[in-house]
Amino acid sequence: MRPGYRILALGVLFVALFSVLTLRLWYLQVTEAATLDQQAENQRVRLVTSPAPRGEIVDRNGVKLAGSRVSLSVVVDRELINEDAEDGVIQRLAGLLDMSAIEVRARFNEARAGSLGSISNDVDPGDALYLVDHSEDFPGVRVEAVAVRTYPEGELGAHVIGYIGRPSDQDLETPGVEGADLVGKFGVERSYDVWLRGTPGTTKYRVNAQSEILSVVGEEPPRAGGTVQTTTDSELQRVLEQALAEGLALARSSQEPWPGACISESPPEQCAIRASGVVIDPRDGSIIAMASVPSFDPSIFVGGLTQDEWSVLQSQGALNNFAIQGNYAPASTFKVVAYSLALEESIYPQAEEDTVPLQNHTDDYFCSGRLEFQFQDDSQQVFHDWTSAGHGNVDLHEALAASCDLYFWELALRVWRGRGDEFDEDALQRWAEQLGFGSATGIDLPFEQVGLVPDRDWFEATQRETPGRVRAEGTWSGGDVMNLIIGQGALTSTPLQLANAYAALVNGGTLWQPRVVSRVINADGETIFENPAKPLRKLGLNAATITLLRRDLSLAVNSGSGTARSAFADSRVRSLIGGKTGTAEVIKGDSNTEDVDTAWFVGVAPIDDPEFVVAIVVERGGSGGRIAAPTARKVLEKALGLEPGPLVAGEDAD
Amino acid sequence: MDIVVGAPVSRARHGTMRPDFVLVGSVTALAALGLLMIFSASIDSVTQLGIGSSPDAQRQLVFILIGAGVFTATSLLEERPMRLVAPITYLAVMVLLLLVLTPIGTEVRGAQRWLQLGSFQLQPSELAKPALILSLAALLGSDPDEQLPWRRIVQTIAVMLPLAALVAIQPDLGTTIVFLFIAPLLLFMAGASLRQLGGILLVGAAGLLVAMQAGLFAFKDYQIARLTAFLDPAADQLTLNYNQLQSKLTIGSGGLLGKGLFEGDQTNLSFVPHQTTDFIFTAVGEQLGFLGAAIVIGLFAVIVWRLLMIAATANSRFGRLYAAGAAGLVAFHVFVNIGMTVGMLPVTGLPLPFMSQGGSSFIAMMAVIGLAHSFRIHRSPVPGERRLL
Repeated sequence: MRPGYRILALGVLFVALFSVLTLRLWYLQVTEAATLDQQAENQRVRLVTSPAPRGEIVDRNGVKLAGSRVSLSVVVDRELINEDAEDGVIQRLAGLLDMSAIEVRARFNEARAGSLGSISNDVDPGDALYLVDHSEDFPGVRVEAVAVRTYPEGELGAHVIGYIGRPSDQDLETPGVEGADLVGKFGVERSYDVWLRGTPGTTKYRVNAQSEILSVVGEEPPRAGGTVQTTTDSELQRVLEQALAEGLALARSSQEPWPGACISESPPEQCAIRASGVVIDPRDGSIIAMASVPSFDPSIFVGGLTQDEWSVLQSQGALNNFAIQGNYAPASTFKVVAYSLALEESIYPQAEEDTVPLQNHTDDYFCSGRLEFQFQDDSQQVFHDWTSAGHGNVDLHEALAASCDLYFWELALRVWRGRGDEFDEDALQRWAEQLGFGSATGIDLPFEQVGLVPDRDWFEATQRETPGRVRAEGTWSGGDVMNLIIGQGALTSTPLQLANAYAALVNGGTLWQPRVVSRVINADGETIFENPAKPLRKLGLNAATITLLRRDLSLAVNSGSGTARSAFADSRVRSLIGGKTGTAEVIKGDSNTEDVDTAWFVGVAPIDDPEFVVAIVVERGGSGGRIAAPTARKVLEKALGLEPGPLVAGEDAD
Repeated sequence: MDIVVGAPVSRARHGTMRPDFVLVGSVTALAALGLLMIFSASIDSVTQLGIGSSPDAQRQLVFILIGAGVFTATSLLEERPMRLVAPITYLAVMVLLLLVLTPIGTEVRGAQRWLQLGSFQLQPSELAKPALILSLAALLGSDPDEQLPWRRIVQTIAVMLPLAALVAIQPDLGTTIVFLFIAPLLLFMAGASLRQLGGILLVGAAGLLVAMQAGLFAFKDYQIARLTAFLDPAADQLTLNYNQLQSKLTIGSGGLLGKGLFEGDQTNLSFVPHQTTDFIFTAVGEQLGFLGAAIVIGLFAVIVWRLLMIAATANSRFGRLYAAGAAGLVAFHVFVNIGMTVGMLPVTGLPLPFMSQGGSSFIAMMAVIGLAHSFRIHRSPVPGERRLL
């Protein structure tokens, strides 16, 4: 090969190499230019977010239930600190803030990239000033005015307001929730978290390769969350909470097994343990007051709760809102379900002497203290009324006012015997479900329980899954319907469900979806979210049914044989009040333990044109007439404009 | 081809010298652009310090002026003294490379490559580049014909290997590869057959294996890391491959026309480490875009072309071999350096000729092309010279 060709070969090789370079440059600078430029731009910009002040919670009159106060907080953005400089910064911070270096280091490590990590809250203003003046010694460290959650009314309305805390893994899936945020964990704080949270502010910094800030590119200030307005009335709320606490104390002070035992340091298991209640406006389903005792102060969650503190509250059940989370047998308060069904469908019991059913709701039935019940296999069982003396001749109305169990048992048997022929076997259950039992009311609070309306299907399914759970053996029977009709057996309801059903019956037949929040307002006072009253369904009640029910509820409070008579005897407004007591027998497996009844009262006022429905339950409180009715009385009197005095126990009555 | 050694010398001395203005112009353009790029890449820190100019650029300007002098001086050298000094430069470079390895040598980031001379750090491995080409051209140029005896091949390797070994010990992988590339290139130009070249390749590969097995030579951990990081660019973006990632982003963000001089954000904010030295091409890519980058490659292509033309028209076998070696040296540096900045090749640390900041590299490169240029200056104007190609 001649030298010239060798040079040519070299030239060709170099042309090839340079062409490859040029093609590669074309690929980077033309084909991929936009992508690479964006990547380059992204690394030159740092986004720092700052939290938005959480919105307030106010009651229907504007009383502040939850708000924020300003606190000076030392925060760090680790991306703005060189790794080499970090140790020095930590040492200096520890010295200034009286913290250990280990502690400060731990806070540093918690700080997530791109957001501010909190080092210390409620910093002394002098220390804060020093930090600002010596910012060159504390790169990446800033003093921020942060909003700290406050609950000006303390425990008042705690279960409705709820509390906030660090987000769970599930919370973190919500868009906009960061690890360092505080999110609503319970109550309105939880269900309206998205409105309360606001929009965090962002600051875009231009940084160099050493992450030093060169300039601020863009700044979006944080936008505070909206003000959530509840339907509750703090004055009535306060009285409800007082009444529940007094009712609980009243139950304990006079309770078995021996006098005084229940007010000791460690009360026996039989003692009253909690009380809850709800006041609802039957005209639109708005919750006016809702409480559960024992309660808690939501502000204890702000700084974070220790495991021990949490365990104590948890073991008391103080963190649960039993007004919507307690599943209780509603007992005799449930009789209004059968009562209204009887009137609507003209179902009346058979008289004891013969087998001809009563023809009218005013026909008398002899309510003795006991019902002998003949089973198909000739075995016999005797059912006892709550009072062994019985109630004499009663019609449907007196049966409700005096809470005669026998009348309702016969009613249940009437349905049972006529099942598949005159009536649906589960006519009572379907009607209860129409009134909202067995399903969520849909209130705008988290963790609502739904109770249970048992029927044959439920019974069989449950027995199939866990044989013997409901009963050792046997099938769904008339006895189950008898239990159901007096609100016992497997039937359970939350206080809210019960109050809401009463509301639907006394308001003329509209079942509302209860609500605790009416609207969310922004800083300019504009409504940004409206939660209007929502009717769930019309029950189509006859006007006569409504009128009669109101009258008979009034009789239970005002007539001589009414179960709540003694509790309201000296009340100036008793004529405006109607209601129904209930005493749920809690069947315990252990026969050595004396059964402790759950006391109920559902009250309505003013009875002619109801504005308030109150449901009170005192768990293991004893009888409804003695404990629950006086508790409700105090709340109803307050609702009617009186200043009620201390609770006085009523007479024992179902 | 007729080679008339020495005949036209006297005429060249008497006003018939023909400088290659295209070559000189291209080199001047690249050096000037390089200076501007160094200035732009250090301007951010400069303005922060409140100083009116860049010390980096000032030093480079001094080197450029010295380099211009070296270019002129070497251009004026005639072939005979050049061949005479070839062994002397070889030995001198050898001594310097040995000195580097003694405690006199300066170590920076784990590599012992420099000799401190006052405020100037001399990098003998850069000087070894012209010395090696000169020595090999002198050795292979002494053969009268195009037949290359095996003996010469062995001698060539024997001349190259000690330099390569001394540089590899520093370690300076890039320069070692340069030497391993230049020697076969010159053998090819000297007429080595494909069989001979193949043999060299085989023996070379086997030799490398034996040397590594015997522990005489080993890749440093960071060298292996760089090579493997190159194979998997996504891994470990923030540490090992940070330099190359930033390099690619910076060049890519320039786009077709560039962001404009002093408008390069990546350059201004110092996102590319070693930007004034090995990664100077990124400053071109971001500020001047594909257009500017292509012009730079074009200028290098012109230089390589002019050097190959000098080789093609050289009056002597020595001149032809030297100029071809110089062309290969420049082309290889350009390919490996730019290939590295655009993410095609691993980071090996070769400077971009005439543009990267650094005195040793610039002056040595000016010497390399100055010596090649001298063959044009002193060439007799043989009619019909273009027939060679």
